[in-house]
Amino acid sequence: MQIAEPLQIAIEELNKLPGIGKKTAQRLALHLIKSEETYVDNLLNALKNLKIKLRLCNRCFNLSVEEFCNICQSNKRDQQTLCIVEEASDVIAIEKSLEFNGLYHVLGGVLSPLTGVTADSLHIKELILRFEKEQITEVILALNPDTEGETTSLYLAKLIKPLGVKVSRIARGLPIGGDLEFADEATIGKAMINRITL
Amino acid sequence: MLSSIRLQNFRRHTSLNLNFSDKLNFIVGGNGQGKTSILEAIYYLCTTRGLNSKSDIEVLKFDEDSFEIEATFENLSKDSVRIFFTRADSKKFYFLNNKQVNKSSEIIGKFPVVVLTPADHSITQGSPSERRRFIDSVLSQASRIYLNSLIDYNKTLKQRASLLNLFREKKTRNLLTEIDAWTEKLVISGVELIKQRTRFIVEFNKYISDSYSKVMNGEETPEIIYSSNIQETEAPLEKSFFELLNIKKEEEIKKAVNLVGPHRDDFIFKVNSINLKTFGSQGQHKTFQAALKFAEFFYLKEMTGSTPIFLLDDVFGELDSNRAKKISEYLRTVGQAFITVTDFANFSFIEREKSDVFVNLNNRSLIYA
Ligand SMILES: [Zn+2]
Repeated sequence: MQIAEPLQIAIEELNKLPGIGKKTAQRLALHLIKSEETYVDNLLNALKNLKIKLRLCNRCFNLSVEEFCNICQSNKRDQQTLCIVEEASDVIAIEKSLEFNGLYHVLGGVLSPLTGVTADSLHIKELILRFEKEQITEVILALNPDTEGETTSLYLAKLIKPLGVKVSRIARGLPIGGDLEFADEATIGKAMINRITL
Repeated sequence: MLSSIRLQNFRRHTSLNLNFSDKLNFIVGGNGQGKTSILEAIYYLCTTRGLNSKSDIEVLKFDEDSFEIEATFENLSKDSVRIFFTRADSKKFYFLNNKQVNKSSEIIGKFPVVVLTPADHSITQGSPSERRRFIDSVLSQASRIYLNSLIDYNKTLKQRASLLNLFREKKTRNLLTEIDAWTEKLVISGVELIKQRTRFIVEFNKYISDSYSKVMNGEETPEIIYSSNIQETEAPLEKSFFELLNIKKEEEIKKAVNLVGPHRDDFIFKVNSINLKTFGSQGQHKTFQAALKFAEFFYLKEMTGSTPIFLLDDVFGELDSNRAKKISEYLRTVGQAFITVTDFANFSFIEREKSDVFVNLNNRSLIYA
């Protein structure tokens, strides 16, 4: 079956998005054909602005419209506590929890020599400079608990601890509200190992 | 239990439907008649992988574009597993109860299986890697925690080797701190693995002596000794691990290889305190291999709470009639087994029971004895 070329191209591009299969891509493309022109224009602008208007914050590498992001510009944030994360999406997740009121530093990935990522390809040099310029007294490492995330935490602890800064790692274990019986053994195992004294 | 299978374009079988007994199932046929392929199909459906690491293409019938195999299990509930493979996509599709599942892990472990084949000679006679593979496979089937630790450790090994290689090329001093971080991770994950293996061997030794005496009728005393290059002395494991790494540091960088850790472990099999690999007779090796698989069977049964399916490929031909008789009688009492034999006439010593199923591949007929 021959599909008109513009439709074919749109389907292929949509199909490249994560989580969008061929069928969904086709449904979305057909939906857009039927949509009002103003809606399509708004969508186009919104997508373009993601690339044009957004940049990385000059201090913490979070997504930002201006030179410094909203969090770095705010005077309500605790300037002495720094939370280190892998990606800007992690900032969004932690902000939603409303449990953290300090500053962030986005590494832009984790150490993975196999895929060519060593310390100098992450925002680690900039992180170390922040300890000279700012009054940071505590660091919270909030990296993913996988092989690469854990090694990156170990590496950062080696760099930061000698600076006389308190370093901790976020606890991991059972999801809140999750039933013990539905958590997988690995999670329960880790939660047992990382148990805390009451 | 596995109640039936259906094969389509799998190995030499164009189309085959079989119903099974919940006790003993004998698959009888000469060489090249496809009796092992039936065990392969069962193994595939339980593990989503080929027996003896055969690839998907290898089991596809020559000149065909796709194969499909399906099994029906009747335990507390009735479950079906279907696997479909196409040459064009070079991809497998999994269906559990006729619903497609994306990850093979949704099937793996649901229907535990233990296999005894002539290829098992490598476990007692081959290199340490063969013994590690056996131990890892038993432990991973019994414990998700172990499987995760193993994956984590193997990833760390690959990452660290890659970094050692990078350092050998570039010699940037900055990379030394990075190597230290990966070394620390190697020690943390490695110690975790060693501790779990140590605990496992203590436990598994009970199972191996049990199956040795009960199943194999052996009067000798078997034992497995865990031999790691990192030994627990007065110092904790971590310390010994770091010390050994320090000694090997230069060599590791020169060769860009991980030289220290549980990936170099060995397991020493002993019979009456004598090293089996060096001094064991052919018969002792055979007995030990079978005892290992029976121990695996009972261990998995205990740990997972479900009874594994036992597959025995061409094993009876290699055992004396006394042992073969003993094994088949024992199998009958513990669960469901699938046994390939070349010619049943040679096994007249095995008492046939009404419930046993005989699949005769020589004349493509199904005989229910
Ligand atoms: Zn910022």
